[in-house]
Amino acid sequence: MKKSLLTIALMAAALSITAPISALAKDITLLNVSYDPTRELYQDFNAAFSKHWQEKTGDKVTIKASHGGSGKQARAIIDGLDADVATLALAYDVDQLYEKGRLIPKDWQKRLAHNSSPYTSTIVLLVRKGNPKGIKDWDDLVKPGVSVITPNPKTSGGARWNYLAAWAFAQKKYGGDEAKTKEFVGKLLKNVPVLDTGARGSTTTFVERGIGDVLLAWENEAFLAQKELGVGKFEIVVPSLSILAEPPVTVVDKFAKKHGTEAVAKAYLDYLYTEEGQEIAAKNYYRPTLESVAKKYESQFPKVNLIKIDEEFGGWQKAQKIHFSDGGTFDQVYQK
Amino acid sequence: MSFKKKIIRALVVPMIAGSGVFTFSGNALANDSAELEELRALVQELDQKVKVLARKGEVNEEAAAAAKKDTPVVKASEKGFGLESADGKNVIKLRGLLQADYRSFQQGANDVRGRSNGRAGSLDGDGFHDANDTGLLRRVRPTIEGTVQGKYDYRFTPDFGNGNSVVVDAYIDARLDPAFKIRAGKYKPFVGLERLQGGGDIKFLERSYVTNAILPNRDLGVSVYGDILGDKLNYAFGVNNGVVDGGNISSGSEFEGNKEFTARLFATPFKDETNALAGLGFGIAGTVTNIDGEKNLNWTDSSAADATRNGLPSYVTNGQQTFFRYGGGIVADGDRTRIAPQANWYYGPFGLITEYARVSQDVSKAVGGSPAAGGAIVTPEGVLENTKRKLKHDAWQIAGSYLITGEDASFKGVKPKNDFDLEKGGWGAWELVARYSEINLDEDTFKNASGVNSGEFGATGTAATAAGLAYSDLSRSAKSAKSWTAGVNWYLNQNAKIQLNYEHTSFDGGDLAEGLAQATNANASGSNVRDRESEEALLARLQVAF
Repeated sequence: MKKSLLTIALMAAALSITAPISALAKDITLLNVSYDPTRELYQDFNAAFSKHWQEKTGDKVTIKASHGGSGKQARAIIDGLDADVATLALAYDVDQLYEKGRLIPKDWQKRLAHNSSPYTSTIVLLVRKGNPKGIKDWDDLVKPGVSVITPNPKTSGGARWNYLAAWAFAQKKYGGDEAKTKEFVGKLLKNVPVLDTGARGSTTTFVERGIGDVLLAWENEAFLAQKELGVGKFEIVVPSLSILAEPPVTVVDKFAKKHGTEAVAKAYLDYLYTEEGQEIAAKNYYRPTLESVAKKYESQFPKVNLIKIDEEFGGWQKAQKIHFSDGGTFDQVYQK
Repeated sequence: MSFKKKIIRALVVPMIAGSGVFTFSGNALANDSAELEELRALVQELDQKVKVLARKGEVNEEAAAAAKKDTPVVKASEKGFGLESADGKNVIKLRGLLQADYRSFQQGANDVRGRSNGRAGSLDGDGFHDANDTGLLRRVRPTIEGTVQGKYDYRFTPDFGNGNSVVVDAYIDARLDPAFKIRAGKYKPFVGLERLQGGGDIKFLERSYVTNAILPNRDLGVSVYGDILGDKLNYAFGVNNGVVDGGNISSGSEFEGNKEFTARLFATPFKDETNALAGLGFGIAGTVTNIDGEKNLNWTDSSAADATRNGLPSYVTNGQQTFFRYGGGIVADGDRTRIAPQANWYYGPFGLITEYARVSQDVSKAVGGSPAAGGAIVTPEGVLENTKRKLKHDAWQIAGSYLITGEDASFKGVKPKNDFDLEKGGWGAWELVARYSEINLDEDTFKNASGVNSGEFGATGTAATAAGLAYSDLSRSAKSAKSWTAGVNWYLNQNAKIQLNYEHTSFDGGDLAEGLAQATNANASGSNVRDRESEEALLARLQVAF
């Protein structure tokens, strides 16, 4: 709405009078662009942080959230989605904010503890009640007649964790024989009837649409499905080997600077590492990194033999190039 | 009942029933049980396949919806053809304006005086040539325009009409805020109201003297403009190269370095109201500069092209016949200011536009002739002493229009209620238009340039000395032109229009008294001058614009 000069003058006068008051309290809006299954986590966390920030500073913070496949979300930010913070599924997607958009510094991962991953997770197998197909480990997923639900690694961060976990299992099973590993993963993907774009889409496919015998899922997503989406209808199967998923977080410096929200955005992420932030993560089935909280929730999370991306695949940049770039192993083994 | 259960019942129940009627053996029951399991598995498999197909459909729909957000949109409508990014921030449009005219002169003359019969064809006793009936392409303007990054507009319009090939518009608009926009390039300076009306939207075939004769047409420069006070006041300030009256500047660098400043305020104070004044707009505009024409030209007054360098214009009638030009050796030599109050009013099918313009121009008599051709420069300024004079010309117009088919009149084009269509019975929109416009030149224009107080007009027989020439010769150029125009516009649809204008123009001066030979009376006294023959013309146009 356009304002008349008189209106502008009156507003200016009013502002000059109320300036000392308004200087005391600000209305701040943050945009958190996140990946698919974090909806519930950040719904709880945003409310807690807003309350905490208002108590601490008097400023009112409204946090808007955007969720989708991690790769898609990273591209959206690069294309101009004004995120103040990005909380994505894997470090490669956050790296792209530097590589493609110079929106963050190159060493962004060193700015926060635990390589900027305030919580971790892993990949588990969610099966239907009674586990009718008798699925116990990764090699059950390549059997004929087993329908596996996982999203598309081209768009979903969770799917890339799934793929690499399966790859790591096959590598170990076949003693590093790449041809056999590829054959194994190819067979697994052949059993996937629908490739959703994100992890939440796959959960919908498995839980709500009743498709498939097993869902390759984030541990937190599997717990959510089991305890809240379909109580008593699903069981979690912990495979013999899985991967330590470290979803990273970062302030998107360029946009935060533009919005004047750098300090709040940093505080928002720092709060994830506090006891309260870690409690919220644990309650939403993410593995806390703060030892005291991790110990408190120890019984909630099953013991899993976890491999690490850096050790097994040489880090995300290398893994992305070998497996998920155009012509990578995923393109080689996946037949539509 | 679920789909699955229906299938089971349809397939299995008859089989069970059948088996019950014809066999009771244990083996048969066992076989049936195995068959039942197979059927159950088959149904479950089919059930999964159906669900997968449905889910794939959902996923594809989601993907299509997501892709739509990034897919450019192709647009084709009566407003042109274009391509637009999904977010609408980047746009390219192809538009066009084609005007095919025919001019039929019942009476009138063109301006070829001073030329020999050999060059100009058959001249009458007054040295005029009859105005020629002619068909012509008045405007042939393809336009590429659009937007980048949501707020930076561009427009490129060449014109291949009138036998020319020129860049009419080439500018960039930065819409930083509704109250603050910047336009840079070659464009219509924000001065004349009628000029700012689109070439395809004007009510008459030719604009009035205010617009065509005095106010600038196109100029090169930069303007800041915007809408303030709730869009009720439009302001514009510009710095441009500067252009002669009615001039369309070339797209190259200019001869004279001083800049012309323009300013305009235009108010539409009742625009948000619903009463009769809602369509009222009024304002005032002006230009100011200091301009010196080139002073060592090898003068000839038979070519209007000189105007591009001497800094002075020539003026034409509605039939586009030149009726005034400055004399040889006259150059712009100092200040040029213009002022133009203006107003329009649209109420229902009725439209009114009125505008006044006054130009004040310093002129001098240059020595003339390039040094190479024998011309001499006798003063450092290149002009004859005591020949500087401030000439003030003015023009005004009032024009009305009435849409007899009931459409609403507006500053922009007309959208017929019913397009012309013989099969469906639509007749398009019909509009009656009428205008009076006149231009009056400063009396001093026709006085001797030296001894300026010596009389109403230059004395007879002073042609022998260069100093004795007036700024313009009344026996060759009229000191006023008054035009009536009446016409009808037929809008076949939003894009096609047929226009017919009848115009009558009478002149004050502009011709030598009967019986006198032009060649021997370069500067006629009042007694040797008569009025130029009136111009009566029928002007017709077929226009397509999109």
